[in-house]
Parts: sequence; C-alpha cells; structure tokens
Amino acid sequence: MSLTVIGVRHHSPACARLVGATIAALRPAHVLIEGPADMNQRIGELLLGHELPVAIFTSYADERRRHGSWAPFCEYSPEWEALRAARECGAETRFIDLPAWHEAFADRDNRYADAELRYAEAVGRLCESFGVDNSDALWDHVVEMGPDEGLAERLTAYFDVIRGDAEAGPSDTAREAYMARWIRAALADAGDRPVVAVVGGFHRPALLRLTASAAAGPGWPEIPQPPDGATARSYLVPYSFRRLDAFGGYQSGMPSPEYYQQLWESGPEQAARHLVTAVAERLRKRGQAVSTADLIAARAGAEALARLRGHSCPARVDVLDGLAAALVSEALDVPLPWAVRGTVTAGQHPAVIEMTAALSGDRHGRLHPDTPLPPLVHAATAELERHGLDRAGEHGADLLDPRGREISRVLHRLRVLAVPGFRRITGPATGIDPVLAERWTVQNHEQRLTALIEAGGYGPTLETAAAARIAESIDQAAGDLGALAGTLFDAALCGVTDLGEDVPERLRQGVAAGSDLPVLGRVLAVTLALWRHDRLLGTAGSEALAVVVAAATRRILWLAEGWHAAGAPADRGRIAAVAAVRDAVLHAAAVGVDRVAAVEVAARVAADRAAPPDLRGAFYGLGHVLAESFLEDPAQAVRGAFAAGTAGDWLAGLFGVAREPVLAPGGILGLLDELVTGFGAEDFLVALPALRQAFEYFPPRERETIGERLMAHRGVDGYARDLLRTTVPAEIVAAGLALDETVERRLAQAGLISAGETR
Amino acid sequence: MTLSVTIPADAMQRPPAEVRYADELARLRAADDAPTPPGWALSLRAARAFVVGDDALGVTRKFVGDPSLIDRALVSLATNRGLLLVGEPGTAKSLLSELLAAAVSGDSTLTIQGGAATTEDQIKYSWNYALLVSEGPSERSLVPAPLLRGMAEGRTVRFEEITRCPLEVQDCLLSPLSDRVLAVPELPGGAGMVFAKEGFNIIATANTRDRGVNDMSSALKRRFNFETVFPIADFDTELALVEAEAGALLRRSGVTVAPRRDVLEVLVTAFRELRTGRTARGDEMDRLSGVMSTAEAVAVAHAVGLRGWFLRGTAGSAADLASCLAGTAAKDNPEDLAKLRRYLEQHTGWRAGAQWRELRDARRELPGG
Repeated sequence: MSLTVIGVRHHSPACARLVGATIAALRPAHVLIEGPADMNQRIGELLLGHELPVAIFTSYADERRRHGSWAPFCEYSPEWEALRAARECGAETRFIDLPAWHEAFADRDNRYADAELRYAEAVGRLCESFGVDNSDALWDHVVEMGPDEGLAERLTAYFDVIRGDAEAGPSDTAREAYMARWIRAALADAGDRPVVAVVGGFHRPALLRLTASAAAGPGWPEIPQPPDGATARSYLVPYSFRRLDAFGGYQSGMPSPEYYQQLWESGPEQAARHLVTAVAERLRKRGQAVSTADLIAARAGAEALARLRGHSCPARVDVLDGLAAALVSEALDVPLPWAVRGTVTAGQHPAVIEMTAALSGDRHGRLHPDTPLPPLVHAATAELERHGLDRAGEHGADLLDPRGREISRVLHRLRVLAVPGFRRITGPATGIDPVLAERWTVQNHEQRLTALIEAGGYGPTLETAAAARIAESIDQAAGDLGALAGTLFDAALCGVTDLGEDVPERLRQGVAAGSDLPVLGRVLAVTLALWRHDRLLGTAGSEALAVVVAAATRRILWLAEGWHAAGAPADRGRIAAVAAVRDAVLHAAAVGVDRVAAVEVAARVAADRAAPPDLRGAFYGLGHVLAESFLEDPAQAVRGAFAAGTAGDWLAGLFGVAREPVLAPGGILGLLDELVTGFGAEDFLVALPALRQAFEYFPPRERETIGERLMAHRGVDGYARDLLRTTVPAEIVAAGLALDETVERRLAQAGLISAGETR
Repeated sequence: MTLSVTIPADAMQRPPAEVRYADELARLRAADDAPTPPGWALSLRAARAFVVGDDALGVTRKFVGDPSLIDRALVSLATNRGLLLVGEPGTAKSLLSELLAAAVSGDSTLTIQGGAATTEDQIKYSWNYALLVSEGPSERSLVPAPLLRGMAEGRTVRFEEITRCPLEVQDCLLSPLSDRVLAVPELPGGAGMVFAKEGFNIIATANTRDRGVNDMSSALKRRFNFETVFPIADFDTELALVEAEAGALLRRSGVTVAPRRDVLEVLVTAFRELRTGRTARGDEMDRLSGVMSTAEAVAVAHAVGLRGWFLRGTAGSAADLASCLAGTAAKDNPEDLAKLRRYLEQHTGWRAGAQWRELRDARRELPGG
C-alpha cells in the first residue's frame, strides 16, 4: 500500500505542476481530490471540454437557511490538473470532501478558500521572519518563485509550520474525518498499487495521521443526503477571473488569476513582462500618461526589488511594487491592496486600480454545449423565445394588454433574479403612478447563463424562482421600510401574488420595526393604493398588502403619539402619514384597521401641548373626518392651538388631512378669520410663511370658495378670484407690510399718531 | 564658551542613528557579502536588515510597517530618482529617513529642515563674507550647505518637510536630481560645476496635513518616487511600540515605575478610534482634526506616567489620561475638545474594564467640563 498525499494551495500553478508530474510518474490506481463527493457520479460533466474557468455551483434551501456556494476551477488549479492527469493515465477519480450544502460549509461561499487564513497567527510569524508583507507575498517567495526541485518538501515544511499543533475548528475536523475515510477505502481497494490524494495543504498533516490511525471500513463511504424537506442542487456554471479574484476575507484564495494564468502558461519571466505591458495598456486606454521613462523606471525597480528579495526574476509583488513606485506620484489615501491583502477598497489610486484589474484579467469561462443545466435555464429560455425577447434591442410592453402584461412579468422576474442584460427604461415607478406602458432594453449579456444557473437554486420556473427571491428580500429588508416597499412593488410587477404562508407575518414584523414616520406614511399610501385599486397588476385585495396596511396604520399612530416637539415647524411627510392613516381607516376597515383606536389617538394628540403643532392640527383634522362629534367644542380646540408662532403649522396639519371643516357651511372659517385678524402686525408677519404653506393644500377652486365665503362673512362685495390673483410677488408684499409697520411705529413714537390709529 | 566641543555619545540628548546603532552597523558591514551599489556603505540587503531587523546578527527592528515599503525605498535610493516619504504627521517618516541615510551613507546628519523661511543658501551653499570681500569667490570662501556636501562627497541628503518650503526654493533641487550637477556660477573654471559623486541621493519627507504635496511642481514630483507611510495597522504592534517608547522616555525622566499595560491599552484604543472615527465595535463617530499619531500616543503616555509619578508616586492611571488627552490631543481646539468629551461620555461606558470606567469618571477633568 502506498499513499501519496499532496498538500496544495488551491489555484497555485506550482502545486498544479507538482500534481501533474506526480500522477504521471506514479500512474496511481486512485486519484482522490478535495471536492464535493456528491458530484462523483457526475465527474464526467467536468471533463466535457469546457473553456475554463468554470465552477460547481451548489444551492441549498431548507426552512432555516438558503445558501449558495462555488467550487471554482481554472487551468492551473491543482484539483483540475489532478482530474486531467488522472484521466490521462486511466486512474479512478473521486471527490472525497463533504458536499457543499453540508453544515461544515454553512458560512463558506468559496470551497477553495485558503484554509490557513483561519489560523492566522502562524502565518503572521512566518511573514515576519521572511520579512514579507503578507501570506501571498510569502507564498510567491517560498513556492511559486522557488525552484521545482524540492518543492514537495518545501510545501510539507510550510504547511507543517502553519498547521503546527493548532486544533482545527469543528467544520475542518468533520471534513478531515470524512476525507480520511475515503482515503482508507481507496487504499483498501488499491491493494499494492499507489493512491494519490490532492488536498489543501492545511489538511495534509491531519489526514496522514487519521489514515494511519484507523482501519478501513467495508466499501466506500456513503455520501451524505440533504435532510428531509431541504433541496440541494449542484450545477456547473461558467466562471470568470474577475469573480475568482473578488472573494474577500476568509473566503479569499490566491489573488490575481490572470497573472498566475500567465505564470502557468509561460513562466515567471513572461508573466512579469505581460503584467507591465497590460498595466501600461490599460492606463493609456484610460487617458493616463505613462511615459517610456516611467516604464523603464518600473522595469528597473522590479528587477532591483527581485534581486534584493532573492528572486531569480521579478515576482508578482516585485513588479507591482516597481510599477507603484514609478507611476504613483502623490500621497496615497489607503495602503496598497497587495500590501494589506484584500480586495480593492474605496479611495484607491487610479493607477493602482488598473494594476489590480490587469492582475485579475477579464477571462470568462464557457460551458460545453452538452453540459446539463438546471430547469430554470430552459424555462427562462423558452419564455424569452415565446415572447420574442431573445433578440437584443428595445422591447415594449403595454400593461393594458394581457400579452403585454405577460411580457412585462417575464422581464421583471428576470430583473428580480439579478440576471444581467434586462433593463427597464420607462414604466410605472410606484403603484399609483399613472404610467401604463413599459420600455425595456435587452442585451445578450455574457453573464446571462451564469446568472440563470445560479438563480436555478430558487426554483424551476421563472415564477417560482422570482417568488422565492422576493420572499428572501423581504426577510433581508426587516427594519428597512424603503427596501420593503420596493420589494412589495417588485412582487406586484412580477405578478407574484402568493408569497408563502409566513410572508405576511414577516411583513408585519418589518413594518412594526419601522421608526421613520414620513417613510411609513409613504409605504402606507402606496400599499393602500395597490391594495384598493390595482387590478392591472393583480394586487387589489392581496393579503400581504392588507397586512402591511393594517400594521403601518398601527405603527404610525403609535409613533405619532409619542412624538414630542412643541414648536417644531410643519413637515409635509409627517402630515402625509396622517393623511394616509385617514384613507386606511376610511377604506380598509375590512382588514383590521381600527377606527375607534384612531379616533382616540386623534383626540389625545390634538389636545397634547407637547406635540408638534402640525401633528396636532393633522390629528384634529383626522378626528373631524372620522367621528361625527369629535370634540365637544371644536372652537375651543382651535383657539387652544392658535398661538401666533405656530398657527400656520397647525393649519398646515389640519388642511393636509381635512379641508372639510373650513369649506363646510358653518365650519370654522369665521373663527379663523377672527383669530387671524386678532394678530398683531408683527405676529402676522411671523405667521405669514406658514399660513401660505397651509393654504397651499387647497386647490385653486377651493381657495376661490374660501375667498367668497370670507367676503360674504365680512360683508364685502367683489370677485373672490381677484383676491387670489396677485400681481406682486409675496416677498414684496411682506416687505411692504413690514415697512408700513416701521413707519407707523416711528410716527407713534414721535407722538404724531396714537398707536393703532390708522387701523 | 565654545561651540565646537566634541560631546561623547552618552551625553548627547539624542545621538544620530549611526552613533546609536554603531555596533549593529559594524556587524552588518562585517557580514555583508552581497554586492554593494556604488557609493553605498552597505549592500541593499544589509541596509534592509538594518531597518527591519535580523535576529541572527542581533540587529533590532527599528521601524514597524510593511517590509515592502523599505524594499521600495531602498531601491528608489539606488536609482536616479529621489525618495519622498509622505504621510500623516507622526508616522515616523523622519525616523525612517534617518535610518535609511545611516544605512546607505553611514551618516544621517546632512539634513535640511524645510520651513517657510528656508532659502537656497541653506540648501546649496553660502559665502564667508569676510573672505569673499578680501579674496573674492574661491573654494576657500565658499560655505557648503548639505546639498553641495552630499553631492561632492557622494552621500545621502535628508530634506525634512520639503513641502513647507516655498515652491521656488523646492525647485532648486531640479538639476541636482535630474542632471546630478550643481552650478556655482561665482567660481571660475571647472570648479563652477559640482558633479554628484556616486552615492548621492535625496530623501525628502512631507506631511499630508500641512500645505500638502499638491504644492510641489510636477517637474519635481517626477524626479521623486513617492512612498506613503501609513499609521500602524495592527493594534498589538502599536501597543508594544507605545509601551517600549514611553517606558524609555519615562526612565530617562527619572520615573522608576513602568507604565501600566491596562492604562496603555485604553490609551492606544482611544487614539486609534479617534484617528479613524470608528470604534472597535463599529460605531461611526467624529474624527479629531488634530494629529492622533503613534508619536502623540507616546507623548501622552509619557505625560501620564510623569503625572502619576511626580504627583502621587505611582504609575499613571486612566484618570491622569483624561487630563493629559486634553492638552496633547485636543490642544487648544474647542471643537476637538467637545468631540473628545462626547467620546468619553458615549464610548467609554459600554466597555468592560476598570480603566475604562475610571476614564469615564474622569471626563470632568477636561477643561471646561
């Protein structure tokens, strides 16, 4: 029995070379690879002849969690090289790790992340003793730039130091135990023929120990099945270098795929030269000046750095450091990304951004046409073809026409599933927007297939997938009312009416956590309109919307009653929220909006001296609309609220919710006239802007009515319309009034008139 | 009174780096077998070891920061561009420039201090006017300034705070950096052109708070490689540095108790949070407009230690920290003082630890509190 365990770093060209050479030399019976064991029946799919990079995408959903994760492969992945070499020498190939949906991967998006990052202390010590910035520079220094001789020994030493005596976490322990069972089974099966296992170097010491310490059980280990009621699906997706490089933190693996692709294809010298050329080309394309002198300086700097650091030719960081020194001629705001290890952050220098982009490259993978695809891909393609949406260009959808509505729904479902290439140019922006046609642009985006395969985890048809996606958004939007309202509108546009049993409850919780009165008001107004009227989108009477209406009404009443800010200026959003409550109480009693509670709150707020005046006015109006005999003596409430500084704000609140008390015969118009006339000139000027704002709530025709009543009340003849038609701007009138006032005061001071005489 | 007394190194307030670390430099030179750039005292590899440390040779680590920064800086110095270290105040730019000069030339004293009043005389050369009048311009009557000496002797010249100099004064570096020659038009014949000897280069420093590097002409910018020095990224490293430096300062001031580690932890945490405007648990808050560098933290730790020792005979406490923060961190800026008070009120209460509580209780020690 002879076992060779090659401990690799995922996506390392040097390790891939070692794997290829070892398998070719040993011609083993079994090649075991760290990868999802549930794909073992389908390993043939991987070898169909795809253009790399591709990834195995696994989606998982049960009642508690929904999770998607990737196992990406590129040409220089040791795992991929193992697949290729094993097929060449006719070895049996198996994946030996737990499936991606397993609990051990619950917090992982990238199967091939660097495990050692989770045990950072040892890495930090190594970096310090080698005098390098981080683990990537260390890796290049020790492995990629080192000679091929002795590579296996260096890798062993490297990972032994990193693993040290560290106790692995529970998920790594579970995976190692499982992988060891496969290795033991393969050894038992192989007899005296060799077995090669390709695993993350971090796991190698533990696997050797575990394999030696126990005997093989009978047969191959069983493959874990997802629990009852859960779904787990795996499909191949085309991947891209950009995405491979975008994992951050504990999810990240080897950075800079394009650089390592070049390294794999043509060696370090060529890779370094390619990098400098690519960066210069990118920068020049962006109109940045890169002089020949700069390039010479970059080149010389890289060579010198390589020599200083003991590399035979410039390594990745040598080239980058050389370029940065030559091209960046100002202070940086944030450290260089390759010095701190991480994705590019905001505030990075433009030249540095282009450098990292050149390192990432823009290579895209492509699947072989025979690759099995999830049902959603076929369903979506069929729908697009049926509606003629498969050709790129502009498409229109008339929402009044049933066929147009169907087109619109297909496109919205694709949009909600984040499939790129479908963009709406025009169309209704809210449920009460009187726009009845949409225009879309459709592009044949290169990421369409990838996005559809990944969305396949949500469901087999566009409708079910969009519904699941929307339910997930509702979960994520808890507390963020704006997002919640947007999601509900998406649901309406997608024609998703059945969101699942627990969605109304989650919506209720989301609304109940809202704390912004104006936003709540907007949410209530829009959902109420959708619930009441929208037969076009099929949302009229929808249960989910009804829940939102009831919950938002309750929440607004609760928040408004606790709002204490005497003397705060009027706020239209706040007033609109009360107006929305009014509509909800009037029209949605059937869904549990409580009229009695609303009237009681209205009475309390209207009489609360600590409440903002506009809210007091608004609730006075609300009570007036909702209850026949709201207050025993309305006139007293009006007088109580009518202080000079806040009268306008109070009226704004009142008019925003109820204009009826003023317009109705026998209303409070006379009383208002009396109170306003009673203002001193100074007070009137202070109250004027707010008064003007308040009366803006009346449409012109109603203002004319008020004018007529007022003139009748005062016994003046004339046309009310003339009162409304001012030829002089309001500021000038106000300035004139102020001037009159000053003149009068001076005259009175000089004893030429007695105060109030001209009035 | 004479000025030219040779003071022994142990009596100097602060001996230059090449004196402080003379034995380390000697060991590095003895063990140095890598090729040495022309005019350099050490090879690049040995110079790097001098700054980032080498356990085998007993060379201490003198600068905490990315080792790659040192690599790039040394390579810049070996090429025909100058080195410009930029960064926030108190990020040890001057220390780094001193160490680099000591490693490259074995001498860090050819220093020009930039300022609003710096003139070309102080950079290039001036004259001994008595000799000038009696003999006319001659090499005897010429008084060389650091730049001329550095070029003639092939050594590293340090230019501190270069962006605080007027633009036209900065630009006198143009031809020494690009053509590597300095003209002394007053001198007759060949003596009027001083060509730079191998080994000459310039390390300039500039801080991003003052007038800013924006004021540098682009012609001059092109002749420098920029290296940005960042505040220390790692908490433990910064804490260790503050502990070591403040301890040394306190010993020199005659304080015999070491600073308390828990107090220093509070101090370094507070400095890092006020510098970045974000607390450890992620609250956004106001950044102080004043400089919250590691150097300032050391100064505060020193002051805290002095207060504790000379007022009560103990190590400094968190209560001392509150009063020292006002003077050293907020200085006389009332806005910063208000921000500091808000920080002590809102962001000390939720933390565990007796020192945080004490700091919170002492917030009334802030002036005007």
